[in-house]
Amino acid sequence: MATEAKLSHTAAMILQAVNAGYVYGFSVMEMTGLPSGTVYPAMRRLERDDLIRSHWEQQSIADAEQRPPRKYYKLTRAGKMTLESSRKRYPLLAKLIPSEQVESV
Amino acid sequence: MTLQFASVFHGGNLGLLRLASLLVPGQHRGEWWREWRSELWHVRQACTPQSDFSWKGEREVAAFCLGAFQDAFCLRREIGHKRVPLATTKGSAAQCMLFLVSVMAVSYCVALVCPGVRAELLSSRYRVPHNLIMIRSPRYRQDSVPTISAEQVRAWRVRKQQIFDGFAFYQIVHKSVSTSRAQTVLRLARASPNLFELLALPVRFASTGREIRTDVPKLILTEALWKKEFAEDPEVAGRVVEVGYRKAVIVGVAPAGSWRLPGKVDGWLIEPDVDAISDGVGFVVAHLTPSAAQQRWSERWRMSAPTPEGTFDDFLCVSLAERTRESWDLFLFAVILAFLALPATTSLPLGEYRLSSRKLSWSTRLRRWSFLSVKIALLLPIVYLVSLDLAYMRTTLDTPSSEYIQLVFSFSICLFGLRWTLRDQRQRCPVCLGKLTHPARVGQPSRNFLAWNGTELICVGGHGLLHVPEIPTSWFSTQRWMYLDPSWEILFPESGLVSTGYF
Repeated sequence: MATEAKLSHTAAMILQAVNAGYVYGFSVMEMTGLPSGTVYPAMRRLERDDLIRSHWEQQSIADAEQRPPRKYYKLTRAGKMTLESSRKRYPLLAKLIPSEQVESV
Repeated sequence: MTLQFASVFHGGNLGLLRLASLLVPGQHRGEWWREWRSELWHVRQACTPQSDFSWKGEREVAAFCLGAFQDAFCLRREIGHKRVPLATTKGSAAQCMLFLVSVMAVSYCVALVCPGVRAELLSSRYRVPHNLIMIRSPRYRQDSVPTISAEQVRAWRVRKQQIFDGFAFYQIVHKSVSTSRAQTVLRLARASPNLFELLALPVRFASTGREIRTDVPKLILTEALWKKEFAEDPEVAGRVVEVGYRKAVIVGVAPAGSWRLPGKVDGWLIEPDVDAISDGVGFVVAHLTPSAAQQRWSERWRMSAPTPEGTFDDFLCVSLAERTRESWDLFLFAVILAFLALPATTSLPLGEYRLSSRKLSWSTRLRRWSFLSVKIALLLPIVYLVSLDLAYMRTTLDTPSSEYIQLVFSFSICLFGLRWTLRDQRQRCPVCLGKLTHPARVGQPSRNFLAWNGTELICVGGHGLLHVPEIPTSWFSTQRWMYLDPSWEILFPESGLVSTGYF
C-alpha cells in the first residue's frame, strides 16, 4: 500500500484510535462516537489495504475471564506511515484522540 | 421477569446478526459471525445493566446489531468484485455461443432463401383440421392416388348424412392455360366450389370490387405461378384466361405453403358446381358434423358407405390432422424422443466431482448451469431450422415424404446435439468455462491397483486439474476435478485470472 494514500477523516480517525490503543471494534466505536455500520466496514477496508492487521485473542485468556475471545487490531508499518501523513492533513486528529495506550494487548 | 426480557432481546439480537450473516459470502461468513457475536457480548456487557432491564441500553444494542447489515453489505460488495471472469482463450464460452448463434443465423437465412422451406416456416394452419377427414379407398396404401369418383361424391351429397355435413372434391388435371403473355400447360386441381371454404384456406387479392360471373369457372393461382406467369401483379383478380377450351376468371392467389393435400398443383380451377365434374377419380375432403366430432374417433378409421351402384363398399377415413402434421408438432415430438433416448447414448452427469469437500460458490455454479441452459436453448431452434431446411429444400417432394425427412433429421440432430452439449460441458472448467487443454497421461495400467492411471487435463486459467480415469475402478470410477489453491497462481500469470474467489 502506498504511504501517500489519502484517507478520509473517518478512516484517519479510526486509524488514530487503533494507534491510541483502542484495539477492538467496540472500543473504537466508543472512542470515535461512530456507529457500528461505519466502524466495522472501515476497519475491514483498512485491513484490506494493509494499514492494520487483526488477530484473535487466545482462547485461554478469554476462558479465564469468562467471555468470548475478541478480535484485536494493530497498525502495520504502512499504517503508521499513512497515519503520520494523515495527521498533517487533519491537525486536530491527535487532539481528538490522544495517542496513549489505554489497554495493552 | 427482567432477566427473561433481557434473554428475549439477546435472542433477537443474535437473530439479527444471523440474518445479516446470510448476506456475507460463504467463505467469510464463519469469521464474520464470530467477530460480531463476540462484539455483541461485550456491547451487551457495556450497555445493559446486569441486574436490571434498560430500554435505552437495549436500543443501543439493537442499533449496534443493525450496523451489522451495513458491514455485511460492504463485505459482500467487496468480495463480489473478485468474481472470476470468463475465460477468453480459444474455445471459450463466448466463442461457443457465437458458433451456435452463427449456425442458427445461417440455417434461418437458408430457410428464407429456399421457397419451400420459407413457405413451410411461414405457413398458416388449417382452422379446424380435427374435423376434416380425407375419404379414400383402402385398397391403396399411398394417399396420393386418387380413388373416389365424382359420381360417388354426388351420391353421398344427395343422401341424408349423419356423420358428415359437407363434401369437397377435387381431381388433378393437366390443362393448357392461355394468358396474355403465353400459353402453358399447368397442373390444376379441378375442384368443387366449397373446397377453399371447407379447408378455410386464405386467398390473397380476392376482393377487387369487380363483378365476377358465377357461371364460369374460377381460377385460384399458387404464389409460384402468380410470380412466374403474372409478374406478381396485384391486380390479377378479375382477369380472364383460357383454360383448355373454356374461359376462367382469376379470383385470387393462395399463399405459398397453404396447400397440404395430395397432389402438387399450379392452381385450382373452381367449378361452378360439382356436377360439372362428370368423369374421372379424385380426392374427397369431408367435414364432420358437430355430434360426430364430439365422439372423438381415432385419426384413422374405416366406414362402410353406399356406392352409386346401390351396393356398399369400404372406405378409409383419415383425419387431416394426421395427414397434415404441422412441422412444429413433428419437431416437438422428435425433441421429446431425443430427450428420452439421450440417457441410452451417453451419461448425463456433468462430471463435476471434487477431490475435496469444498463447494463452488452459488454464483459460479449458477453461471455454469446458465451456460448449459443457453446452449440447449440455442440448440433447439437450430434443430428446427436445419431439419426444415433439409426436409423442404427440394420442392418436388410431397408433404408426407418431407415430414418423414423432417422427423428423422429433427430426432438425429437433436440427439447428437444434446450429446455434444453434455460432452462439451464436461470438457470445460466449472469456474471460467474455458476448454480444458494439455491432456497428459498419468500412471500405468499395470499399476492400476497402486495408483490411478488415466488422463489429466488442465484449465489454462489455473483453476484446476481434471483427472479422467482410463479404467474405472471402485475407488476411481468417475472423472474428478481438483481445484488449485491460490499458491498455484504464480504458474498462470499470463491468464490474468484470479484463482481465489470462486469458492
